[in-house]
Amino acid sequence: MSSKSVPEKPARRISEGSVLEKVAKGEKMVDAGKSPKVVAKAEKKVSAEVLCGIQPKMGKAEVGARLKLLYRRYNRGASSLDAKMRAESETMLDAIVEVREKFFGEI
Amino acid sequence: MAQHVGIDLGTTLSGLAYLKGDGTPEIVPNSDGERLTPSVVYFDAHEDVKLVGSAARDGGDPERTIFQIKRYMDDPDHVLEIDGKKWTPAEISALILSKLKRDCEKIIGEIRDVVITVPANFNELARKSTIAAAEMAGMKVKRLVNEPTAAAVYYAQTQNVQGRVLVFDMGGGTLDVTILEVKGGSIRILTSEGARHLGGGNLDDLLVTAFEEQYRAQTGQGLYTDERHRRRILQSAEDAKKMLSKLQRVNDTVANDQNSGLARIDLTREGFEGLIRKMLTRTVLLVEQALDSAGLKVSEVDHVVLVGGSTRIPKVKKVLEKFFGKTPKSCGNVDECVALGAALFAKSSAKIQEVCNASYGTLAMIYNAATGEEKVANSVVIPKNTVIPCSRSQVYQTSEDNEKVIEVDITQGEDEDPRFVDVIGRLTLEVPPNRPKGCEVEVTFSYDENQRVQARVLDKASGRVKEVAVTYRGAGVLSEEELQRRSQHLRAMRIE
Repeated sequence: MSSKSVPEKPARRISEGSVLEKVAKGEKMVDAGKSPKVVAKAEKKVSAEVLCGIQPKMGKAEVGARLKLLYRRYNRGASSLDAKMRAESETMLDAIVEVREKFFGEI
Repeated sequence: MAQHVGIDLGTTLSGLAYLKGDGTPEIVPNSDGERLTPSVVYFDAHEDVKLVGSAARDGGDPERTIFQIKRYMDDPDHVLEIDGKKWTPAEISALILSKLKRDCEKIIGEIRDVVITVPANFNELARKSTIAAAEMAGMKVKRLVNEPTAAAVYYAQTQNVQGRVLVFDMGGGTLDVTILEVKGGSIRILTSEGARHLGGGNLDDLLVTAFEEQYRAQTGQGLYTDERHRRRILQSAEDAKKMLSKLQRVNDTVANDQNSGLARIDLTREGFEGLIRKMLTRTVLLVEQALDSAGLKVSEVDHVVLVGGSTRIPKVKKVLEKFFGKTPKSCGNVDECVALGAALFAKSSAKIQEVCNASYGTLAMIYNAATGEEKVANSVVIPKNTVIPCSRSQVYQTSEDNEKVIEVDITQGEDEDPRFVDVIGRLTLEVPPNRPKGCEVEVTFSYDENQRVQARVLDKASGRVKEVAVTYRGAGVLSEEELQRRSQHLRAMRIE
């Protein structure tokens, strides 16, 4: 949901500093469940599919769409101003490539 | 004074070109007789001199040699300390630009206004740092232009193409994919996507690992223990990579720095292609992202153009040929076309329509009227691919009673999830006390031709306004005062 869908009351700015603080603390603010917590899982050597949130029931098209979303997200993350995000993104980009090769074959 | 000067400030090589009287661009060689200058700086321990270029790359102590500084232009905390003095990435880049300016001025006269190229994926900080580097080197940046755009300008002019062109620019440090449309004499950029750490240097690193593995297998020892020797191996790996673009098999004999004996390194093109396969998959992912971003299918691209030294690798061409079903074309001299295109751009920028490379917005509590759900999200004000220069506004409401200060975070990135965007600035506006929540605040972002952003916040009730250009803080970022001071210092330096 973006603010564009409710133009007459587009958004409410939250009070001073709280957005950054909550995000930095990792509080469950924005669809946290949809995005894998990559650093913690990478340390436990979780598979690339789990890192990418690929479910066994997903079809090829769904996997492709998921990989595109993740690639866009983490490719951008690789040039983030946040060093932690840059490192996390490299792990995710490797996982994305691995899943792509598994589902769509090597280039 | 030289007119229409373009500079390609590259990760591994830099070049300067200018437009001749007949309107054709030409590369200006440096004082060492080279058309391109290695982007390497050496700080001598005995003489007060900074060496830039081949002399710096080939001879110096690696502890005093700076390679690939461009990779760190977007890192606010990156600082190098040499002989007790701290150097920011912008200052190191300024030394490279100074060498180019001083050398080329001997041939084409005074150089003042320039167009400098940057990767399409350079963020706001990296662009600002590039402008600062040019200022320190005594030049005024007329425009920053994205490298693929410059290459496309050169390609379009020299090859006289029309239609949709995808430029695949794989240089020493980054990959940029830009899609543009050429119609008559005009060029319209549709989108640019970039990937950091996806260039020739990354492929060299993989080859160094292959060298190490073969050396260890034969001698049981490691291949290097210090940076000086690693640099030598890196050079051997780079040479091997270049040969594998022409030959099916190469070999080399290497020793480590501990007298553990020699080992013969055997590499095949097939083996190399296996090594870089995952990297190349990432390049395809970026091409797909660019097509999605432009809303195009593969079949709607008329020409695929190769730019950058890494596109000499046969597998790169093969992968793109398979993907597009057509043979990619080389942009003439893949190493020089960015600088040449920048010189052309310096004259014909009015005919080239560029777009925002990233989305800009603010963090806001988004209210979903249908579900009643609230969440903090990145609210985009200027979407990526908006034609520049541009200005966009969006109205928000204060969320609490008695707010005394309105703070607007400036974000860069299109993702709705705040974790996947950068907060690149914050604008603070004091407002009158004792107001209820729901007061309207208009946030306006303006985006200029150099892909720099300005933010303005207007409190509608009180009419109070505040406007700022984005500024960064960090050990690797110079303040305006430091910039002026260090500029004077740098201009007095001996740079060769």
